[in-house]
Amino acid sequence: MKLASFRKKSPWILHYNAGGCNGCDIEILACLAPKYDIERFGMINTGNPKQSDILLVTGPVTKRSRERLVEIYDQMPEPKVVISCGACASTGGVFRGMYNCEGGIDQFIPVDVYVCGCGTRPEQIIDGVVQALGILEKKTKELEESVRLSKKPVQEGRQLNRRNIADEIKPLVS
Amino acid sequence: MNNLLIPVLLIILAPFIGGLVYGFERIVKARMQRRIGPPLLQPFYDFLKLADKRRMIVHSAHAFFGIMHFVSLWFAVGVLLMGGDLILVVFLHLLSSSLMILAGYSTRSIFSHLGANRTAMTLLAYEPVLILIAVSIYLVTGSFDVSSVYKMDQPLLYKLPLAFIALLLILPIKMKKSPFDVAEAHQEVVGGVELEFSGIFFEAVYTAKWLDYVFCYTLVYMFAGSNVLLGIGLMVFTFLYLNALDNSSARVNYRQMLRFSLGVACSLAFINLLIHSIF
Repeated sequence: MKLASFRKKSPWILHYNAGGCNGCDIEILACLAPKYDIERFGMINTGNPKQSDILLVTGPVTKRSRERLVEIYDQMPEPKVVISCGACASTGGVFRGMYNCEGGIDQFIPVDVYVCGCGTRPEQIIDGVVQALGILEKKTKELEESVRLSKKPVQEGRQLNRRNIADEIKPLVS
Repeated sequence: MNNLLIPVLLIILAPFIGGLVYGFERIVKARMQRRIGPPLLQPFYDFLKLADKRRMIVHSAHAFFGIMHFVSLWFAVGVLLMGGDLILVVFLHLLSSSLMILAGYSTRSIFSHLGANRTAMTLLAYEPVLILIAVSIYLVTGSFDVSSVYKMDQPLLYKLPLAFIALLLILPIKMKKSPFDVAEAHQEVVGGVELEFSGIFFEAVYTAKWLDYVFCYTLVYMFAGSNVLLGIGLMVFTFLYLNALDNSSARVNYRQMLRFSLGVACSLAFINLLIHSIF
């Protein structure tokens, strides 16, 4: 359908700081400012998990923030994409191994795009979001196509054998 | 037949027109901040995207209130465009806003409650002014019907200039623009009452916002009466004024908003009413 091509033109971003130093957050805000102006691609910083498509996480996950992180991820409706923004969110960064931090957000929620740098540059963030849009498109397609989970029942003599007809799940879009 | 065709077309296309106005407004706002801004059809892209999202509702009454908010607002716009009773228009609009407040209170989210409280406050701020404007239109034309305004030989603006200024002062409250955007303060209470809506049910609330644009600009156009050029001029002026105000001012709290609207806007409308009824 042609309407489907408009989907990736309005990614709404939710930004969550999981205990970082605010360096990456300022770079994300710089994306909204006149120099980079990501609103021209239709991106809005919504601040509301129930209406957003992309979760941008910065910071190593502190032990206080990990429950909130998982809760926010749960509240977002599918299809959704997670971007871990910066060295801390991806691996733990300089905070790795500290007693109050977990190393990286991918221990708790599935991450689709990793953006490197400490702090990340706005160009890199935009690049990551563009990659995430591709993944979002793929996920939307996967949600759309129904998955047939059953094989045909087997005729055994005079009986129709309906046992073991569950098919294994194959990825639809490669 | 011909004079019925245009209002009916306008009513049917009202969400579409409102969406275009919203898209254009986003561009103008971005240009005022020296940004490029989104494409004109961006609200419709958002609309199509939201239709694809998974449906998540808090409970069925909440989603129902959201949809009824949209429907009753469309009725209000319909009555206004068909030239019906102005009091009916104001109360239909009040009904749609109170449905939204009910939706806000019906969830357990604290932000939703805060937003509902604040929306009730904004109702308290602008509704008396709207009623006063309706009463002064009654005193001028001798009828509450909007169509009687268009039959006058002189635009309403020349008779009720202060009432128009009062309308300009409450429009930012109604359209939730800065400095009076306490109701849906985006970083503070994350959108207020619309917080818990998602997917296709948020779409009803999002489209109702477009209908609100049509409603407000029709109210502005009404002040020009039968003079079409003046009406378009007033609408363009209001558009630029609202965006300039939105970009250049910071949010005030609800007490200041209430004091301003009941103190300044309401008394302006009342003085105009007094002057007209005495002289």
